[in-house]
Amino acid sequence: MSLAVILLILFALLLVALLAWALRPPAGPVRPPLDVFEALSRSRHCLRISQVVNALQPEDTEYLRDTGQLALMQTLRRQRRQIALNYLNQLQEEFQELIEISRLLAVMSPEAIGIEEMERWRLSLAFAVNCAFLRWKLRLGLQPFSGFAMLSGMAISVARQLDFASTRIAEAAMRTANPTGSGDENIGGF
Amino acid sequence: MVGPLQLQTAAWALTSALELGLFAQLLRRKLGRVYPVFFAYLLSTILQSIAVAALYRAGNFDKLTTWKIAWLTQGLVVFLRALVLIELARKVLSGYIGIWALARRILLGVAASVFAYDLLLSKGQWQWLIMNGVRGLELAMAAVIVTMLMFARYYRLPVSPLQRSLAVGLCLYSIFYVVNYSLLENVLQEYAVLWNFLGIFAFIASLLLWTTAVTQYSESEEVVPAPEIPPELHGKLTAEVNTRLYLLNRQLIQFFRVKDRRS
Repeated sequence: MSLAVILLILFALLLVALLAWALRPPAGPVRPPLDVFEALSRSRHCLRISQVVNALQPEDTEYLRDTGQLALMQTLRRQRRQIALNYLNQLQEEFQELIEISRLLAVMSPEAIGIEEMERWRLSLAFAVNCAFLRWKLRLGLQPFSGFAMLSGMAISVARQLDFASTRIAEAAMRTANPTGSGDENIGGF
Repeated sequence: MVGPLQLQTAAWALTSALELGLFAQLLRRKLGRVYPVFFAYLLSTILQSIAVAALYRAGNFDKLTTWKIAWLTQGLVVFLRALVLIELARKVLSGYIGIWALARRILLGVAASVFAYDLLLSKGQWQWLIMNGVRGLELAMAAVIVTMLMFARYYRLPVSPLQRSLAVGLCLYSIFYVVNYSLLENVLQEYAVLWNFLGIFAFIASLLLWTTAVTQYSESEEVVPAPEIPPELHGKLTAEVNTRLYLLNRQLIQFFRVKDRRS
């Protein structure tokens, strides 16, 4: 059998697998909009990134070496790495939540969402890969600062997109509610 | 002992009976108005069966002409099946303006890429061109259905059981056709009768799936409404989203400014 046929058959089998995946019910129940509203009002983990990064700085525990408490320094660093890992999990959950909200906004969007959605897909993938990479870096005891900065950058990017999308939805809603309005009103108070 | 040709004739008769049964069921449940293209597609398969049977029975034409007419009718049926896909995608996605605008482009892109991929891997001889083209269309249709369902799952859009059954029936038939035809083209040419029989068998499976779906589900009863936000809450939610994101942005940007100053 030629390679071309094998490739075609493999592609067909891949489609069967994807079909089975697409037909599975979603992991969690569909969130009512009120829940999303509530989720938005919770405090954000990524705001605590500076404390976490500071705690991971070697200089923060270096004085223990000078005072001869090497074992304590190592324990402290291990514990802080564990905290950073937990923080990373929370950050990932938060990112997923933002993506979930952005999906809901996309469903409600009255205009084309192509570029923003593709950008969000790319970000989701990159975020998942970077999270996994950072987790391994932490487990191996390597310095993860640049990784954290990158993840925060992604969170900012998603947040900006959400900002833009929700503003557009609000503008469209206002246009519908007040068709004679100029459309120059300030949305969301800023 | 029953020969392969007799088996094939029996399968053909069973297919026609199932097509007529599904047609009657669509009429009885008034689903022909809801899915006019699917209705037309089913009608075309019935007419195709009649036409091909008449063609072989008459026996006036030479082998090549018969082959050409048979593949012409098949081309029309495949074309109508592609239109059924458009009808289905519109029903599932077009209620969401933003998503539909994105999905249209992606589905078209997927269809074109997969079709090109199939032709690229096909044999070069012109006599295989029509059959390879049909296989490319089938593969593209399967890919489009899978992409559409993935879209619906990602955005948690409601897909009714009837729509899902129609999509699965179309997709599985297309995938089976591609695998079956790829094997025939390359390794099983001496088993052409068996290939035809298996092709009919796959279509019978799809017909049974559709008939069950049309009998069990109606278009109106099973659709879970998409999340909807009342206008007053919509405005409130949007303002809240904006405020949260604005604060989040500002604090994160401030943090990075502090980091920049440090470094």
